[in-house]
Amino acid sequence: MDKETLIAQLKEIVKPYAKDQEAWQQINENTDFVKDLKINSANLVDVILDVEEQFNIVIDNEAMEHMLNVKSAIEIIEAKLGGQ
Amino acid sequence: MIGNDIIDLRLACQESNWQRKGYLGKIFTAAEQEMIHQAVTPSDMVWLLWSCKEAAYKIVNRISNIRVYNPIKFDCSLSGQQEQSITGKIYHAAKSYSFISHRSQHCIHTIAVAHEIFFDSLDIYTGHDWPLHLLDKCALMKNQDGIPYMMNCYSHSPLPVSISHHGEYYGVVKNRIQV
Repeated sequence: MDKETLIAQLKEIVKPYAKDQEAWQQINENTDFVKDLKINSANLVDVILDVEEQFNIVIDNEAMEHMLNVKSAIEIIEAKLGGQ
Repeated sequence: MIGNDIIDLRLACQESNWQRKGYLGKIFTAAEQEMIHQAVTPSDMVWLLWSCKEAAYKIVNRISNIRVYNPIKFDCSLSGQQEQSITGKIYHAAKSYSFISHRSQHCIHTIAVAHEIFFDSLDIYTGHDWPLHLLDKCALMKNQDGIPYMMNCYSHSPLPVSISHHGEYYGVVKNRIQV
């Protein structure tokens, strides 16, 4: 799966939780879930659970620590998919 | 060092479905999940424990300057309850933080400190409006990592402040200025 496809899928996942719609429209590899999209920290769990469901992967506690931005999320998803 | 977190319970109820499969296990320890299931009102316990983790995280983040998402590593235990206030400790990375959490009808406001003796020297604000009076004679600033502090206009000394906002509520906690 290429990076653009992953970002497009992430964009749909974070849509219900993103409070900054302008930042959401312009989501890219450098987007921060909290600082840019203004996702509240209790909803980051939902993003993580949605990513797990969509990609059929398990995000362990160690990986979860880094799920704060698009770049890290892509790295984690790619690593988990590659390891299967 | 201080950290605070405020939760608008009506908004939290709209924004989060903590009963979703897998949700509690991602952020709460087994003991905390047990506390939630045993609670008279489980959702209140969810947000009390969550606010404790957030308040303690703000202290840790202020010191480390490292952003991580690891709520499960903040281990909360309750020690006392008096009317609308609950006290206890939060354990993280071999350190412990004391907290006090105030409950009003639609709001939970939790304040964490490195040691409970600091509770006596704090100005704590919980309310609907931005507390201008608390910030009198001070300028509110943020350092390069986005961590807020206040600059006293007379002494020019920086004073840590912890700010929290959720829905209809603001929470602000700072050390009382010594006169």
